[in-house]
Amino acid sequence: MVSFSSLEFMFRFLPVFLIIYYLVPSKYRETVFLAGSLVFYAVGEPVLILVLLFATALNYYYGRKVWELKAEALRHGWVEKKRKSYTGQILLLDVAILVFFKCFAAFVDSALLPLGISFYTFKMISFQIDILRGEISEEPKVKNVALYFTMFPQVVSGPIMRYDEGTFGREKSCSPEKLEDGLKYFVLGLGMKVLLADRLAILWNDLQMIGFQSISTPLAWLGAAGYSLRLYFDFWGYSLMASGILVMLGYEFVENFDHPYAAKSISEFYRRWHITLGSWFRDYIYIPLGGSRCSSKRLALNLALVWVLTGIWHGSGFNFVIWGVSLGGLIIMEKLVYGKYLHKFPWAGNLYVLILIPLTWVVFAITDLKQLGIYFGRLFPLIGGEGIMVNRQDFANYTRNYSVYFIMGILLCFPCVFRFYEKHKKNPLMILFLTGVFWLSVYYVSSSAINPFMYLNF
Amino acid sequence: MKKIREFIRKCPFFLLLVSTGVVLSLLGLGGKNNVYAGQEYNPLTEPAASVVFTALNDGIYPWQIFSEESRSVMAEAESTKEESGETTPAAGAAEENSEGSAEESMAAGEEGAEGAAGRDDGDGEDSDMPAEGEDGGEGIEEGSGAAGTGTQAGEADSTEEDSPASEENEAAPDTQEDAEDDENVSSSESDIPKGRLEPLRASTHEEYINHISADIYGDAGVKRAAEYGFVRVDESYFDDALFIGDSRTVGLRDYTDLSDHADFYSETSLTIYKVLEESFKGKGTVTSALERKDYGKIYIMVGINELGTGTTEDFMKKYTEVIDTLHELEPEAKIFIQGIMRVTGKKHNSDPIYNNNNINARNNAIATLADNEQIFYIDVNEVVCDEEGNLNAEYTFDQLHLLGAYDELWKEFLLNHGVIE
Repeated sequence: MVSFSSLEFMFRFLPVFLIIYYLVPSKYRETVFLAGSLVFYAVGEPVLILVLLFATALNYYYGRKVWELKAEALRHGWVEKKRKSYTGQILLLDVAILVFFKCFAAFVDSALLPLGISFYTFKMISFQIDILRGEISEEPKVKNVALYFTMFPQVVSGPIMRYDEGTFGREKSCSPEKLEDGLKYFVLGLGMKVLLADRLAILWNDLQMIGFQSISTPLAWLGAAGYSLRLYFDFWGYSLMASGILVMLGYEFVENFDHPYAAKSISEFYRRWHITLGSWFRDYIYIPLGGSRCSSKRLALNLALVWVLTGIWHGSGFNFVIWGVSLGGLIIMEKLVYGKYLHKFPWAGNLYVLILIPLTWVVFAITDLKQLGIYFGRLFPLIGGEGIMVNRQDFANYTRNYSVYFIMGILLCFPCVFRFYEKHKKNPLMILFLTGVFWLSVYYVSSSAINPFMYLNF
Repeated sequence: MKKIREFIRKCPFFLLLVSTGVVLSLLGLGGKNNVYAGQEYNPLTEPAASVVFTALNDGIYPWQIFSEESRSVMAEAESTKEESGETTPAAGAAEENSEGSAEESMAAGEEGAEGAAGRDDGDGEDSDMPAEGEDGGEGIEEGSGAAGTGTQAGEADSTEEDSPASEENEAAPDTQEDAEDDENVSSSESDIPKGRLEPLRASTHEEYINHISADIYGDAGVKRAAEYGFVRVDESYFDDALFIGDSRTVGLRDYTDLSDHADFYSETSLTIYKVLEESFKGKGTVTSALERKDYGKIYIMVGINELGTGTTEDFMKKYTEVIDTLHELEPEAKIFIQGIMRVTGKKHNSDPIYNNNNINARNNAIATLADNEQIFYIDVNEVVCDEEGNLNAEYTFDQLHLLGAYDELWKEFLLNHGVIE
């Protein structure tokens, strides 16, 4: 049920929850939201929900203490030190919880990774630092803090919203316009996930089934492109569904993707891809380290650290370290060496991003380093050699079967296509189109066992 | 009133979704007892609308609900289902029932139709009893030819019973023989090869509901088939060969050079139920292929996709029909029944359906069709499995299909199993 595109979620949990949420007086809505979120999480993670509850209680306790000392700290310098030490303690605890379970999952049993732990611990860290910095304006009440950490649209895979963006404690207006708007985002996201990402996922599975050593070089590139699109629509679709639900509940839309494949440099790509994670690293790691206002040596070091951490956060395999390091390396080079040329020649920048990013996704996708080597060998046959039992027809076959998904996917990568949609989303034809997208998605979900969302067990 | 009008103006999409949802749900509920009776549906996790969609895959369309004669709709729907080979238990009953009532006009046939009517109600009201549905259907049909086949006929009468009485069980093989002979006379030529082995027992109800393919033949067929002295041949041997199969055979086609010699009628998710009807992309049906060209050898490997469908008996019945039809269409061709390739130990140990016990049971069944004159049984598992008899984990990524690089093992195996007179 934790997958938004499951029938159980769309036709059982969500409608029942929405009806209750709309019917109760608005002052009880946050309580209903919290209760619904706990039910949602308990269904997906009946035992390890204890980890979430424990971490929530712990973070509330510390956060509250630091909040209460704020006024006093303005008068006495030593109180500020005390606040910092409390924050330091809870940050260590949050990191320890995350690292402990990640290691446990990596070395003992991957089933023991609590659902969404990478996301909710990051929210907790952000909450603590925001309190210390005085960026949280309203008094953090236990109900609101618990809701922020556990809210079902975000608990599994983000977006990593900031506490203040939730405007907790303030009444939410659930207007018909917001219901309509949120529903459109949800259906759009559903279509991206089910009609594009899940279809393209089959291509990647096929390549694994054939064995990388036996795919032709053109098919290897098609596979890399397909995987890049699949990951994008899987995660963008998911983020749209999550934010769409929040809009239906009267919250603000949280932007997580802004047409990254239209970027002209890798650093720009990552300002537009998984925006809430990027800004988290920027605000809580990169800038405290000195950001870009320091020597170029220090800058390189800061970026390297951020990207190694980003890599490790994404998974326990060594390939994720390689992935993070190579992205960090490219971004450092852009900052220090050739970045300015990329923006001077936009086409070169686009080409640079569109060739390099799929290659980095291949590193991201293949956790077995030997297999990763084989795949790169097929991408670059001059290094990798001939391959084994390669079928020269494979590229033609797969292009025939998947061209419709590639065309749709590539079109959606253009910002203007999405702008067109935004402009005309009240048009009756567009509404009919979205209705079609919804039921076609339901058809696919009904008739096939769906892939669980890829970022699920982070 | 004004408020409602404003809501309609502001939420057209919401209202359109809800109203289409209501319509689809009504369709789903409306067809629950007839056209959608065969669709699995769990009201706790699925909307009623989802049966409308799952049924589309079986060729059942919503407008069939409104058809005047619901009985003819059912028959039609079920025959499409049969083609696609995805006969679900409850639908199985309907299928057998409609056959029974349409084809049989003898007294026993009437009895069958009566039983069928009773069955209909049962299925409509209680989808928890799929097994009885199917077994009952079998009993009815066979009952029309002979006295009834012990187990199954017994079950048809008592839907509440969980396991068949043991004596009925024992009685099964004897009567089955009569039933089979009878069927053969009515359905096809007398040219069917003799000496086919009979099953030692019938599938039990327990095995049926748990999707366990019963090993009803033992290894007698496999042993008999292995007595044949196959010889090494070269690739030109395959110049007049036709390969029929599912995604695994697609791998053999794409990742060996056999396709330079032989013709391949292979397609992902092919099942024995679809073999004869399926129109292969750009090629047409197997039947048309056999009409166009005189094949000297026909190789077939299917069975993994339908492993969760029906009993060993159901599978065997259809397999026999397919082999006999192929033989009839191309009497000179040697037919090579290839044992279903097994899965890895990891899959075997974790999957209640796609495991090697089920595969071996079905292989034991189809091996009995070999007569070592025109029809042969060969088993590629000999060269792709480990000591424990599971598919070698190194040869596969998904526990099911050979990696492209290892399809060569299969080709070598075929080269070592030629038949030359």
